[in-house]
Amino acid sequence: MAAAPAGEVRVFDPHPLNWLFITWNTMEEPVRTDHEGFLAMALAESATWRDELTLEVKVRAGARFQDGDSCTAHSIKQNFDEVQRWAVPHPPGTYLNFHPDAQCDVEDDRTCVFRFPQPDGLVLGKFRGFHIASPSFWHTHGFGYKKTGSGEGHW
Amino acid sequence: MATNIITAEDRSERVVLEVNRDHNTDRCARLSQVVFRNDLSPGSALDLVCDQEGEVDIVTEVSPADADRVQDSRHARLVTIDANRIVVGIFNTWPEHDGLLTDRRVREALNIAVDHDRLCRETLNGYATPLASLTPSWCNGCFPGAEPRRRDADRARALLNEAGWPEGRPLSIATPASLAGVAEAVARDVRETGLTVDVTSVPDDGLVAGARMLIEKKLVPPWDVLIHAWFDLSSDLPPAVVHREFFGSDGAFRAGPPNAEFDRLFGDLMSRIDPQEARQGAEAIDKWCYDEAAVLSLCAPQALYAVNQHVDFKAYRATFELADTEVSADHWSRRSR
Repeated sequence: MAAAPAGEVRVFDPHPLNWLFITWNTMEEPVRTDHEGFLAMALAESATWRDELTLEVKVRAGARFQDGDSCTAHSIKQNFDEVQRWAVPHPPGTYLNFHPDAQCDVEDDRTCVFRFPQPDGLVLGKFRGFHIASPSFWHTHGFGYKKTGSGEGHW
Repeated sequence: MATNIITAEDRSERVVLEVNRDHNTDRCARLSQVVFRNDLSPGSALDLVCDQEGEVDIVTEVSPADADRVQDSRHARLVTIDANRIVVGIFNTWPEHDGLLTDRRVREALNIAVDHDRLCRETLNGYATPLASLTPSWCNGCFPGAEPRRRDADRARALLNEAGWPEGRPLSIATPASLAGVAEAVARDVRETGLTVDVTSVPDDGLVAGARMLIEKKLVPPWDVLIHAWFDLSSDLPPAVVHREFFGSDGAFRAGPPNAEFDRLFGDLMSRIDPQEARQGAEAIDKWCYDEAAVLSLCAPQALYAVNQHVDFKAYRATFELADTEVSADHWSRRSR
């Protein structure tokens, strides 16, 4: 069993992606990267192609947001629907965009299915930039919603 | 538009992250708190991490020029990692420029004019790895047998003559000021082929205009080669984040007309949902980039961190994460509580 969290670290990080590093240290995505940079499951317990246009994502059991809300397949869909509203939501570029006609359907609390109009072999990498926020985040801040009135370039 | 341009940062003086004790995986944070300090200059942050405890525990983006200072310090050590970062030269292949860089022989000549090993050893103090194409060797998609081109100034000179490089026509290299040392090293090597080389170092307040010109593609940039740094968010399929950005029809850094062969290869990669097949597709793209000498392949710089004593920090190739960073009982934050 891991030791209880202890201590404080103070960081000076002038990197221009500091905003993204803070996001990655505070939010989860369906996948993360390991020390070597390779994709590993995070909020997703698994991601399985049912066919070349249909990707099934199982959400990790018992996942919770910081405010105590459960993170479920409904959370994935909510965040998918939010990101799909914008043309260039991610500052690094549109390579992180899902196809504008992609859909996300919830099958049960832990299962959602992404349906693409054409094969997208890059989608697991795109999941790295697919931050999953709690309902209260969307009701209060949103990515840039409250401060700038737009989600463009704020993911 | 394919990307955004960050024109200004509005950072809080301090950003405090607190542990989520309910996180239900073994990646639950091992620290109670992380404070990002934005109230320091890079120089003062380095002083604080090297010379004392309790003010700064980790400084990221340490310059190779400061590495010895960290290693020789009383309170800090240097942590390095081969990171998913690249520094390359973008060739201006817009026909409206003058078309010289559309000739593959010219692009190859410039690639073999550069001494990659010397660049990494002397300019980056050894904290970099030479690149063969665009994909670092530790990532998926680096093509089999990839080796950085060896320097051959005589052959470079011959290729430039064969391609008809006009007598007296200088090569124009532009660079952000932060990469001026790299640009000067490239220029020094290229001059040995007989070319005149002009280096223009763009100060920070001029970067946005240059980035707009490159990304929007409405105006033709005045340079022949732009020294440019980029990164990847994972090690899995670099063409998605790297090659596509440099050559794709919607690539932000494409400095020439769309390339039908690249777009075909990338479309083929997109269609591959099997990881092994996708990897082969990525290798084909990296090989195409090498064969075409499509960029001036230079190096993959390491990420350097100065880490205060009693802090166990584990670097990542693609990100800066603290989920598995911990401090010992001797750390200042635990001694005083």
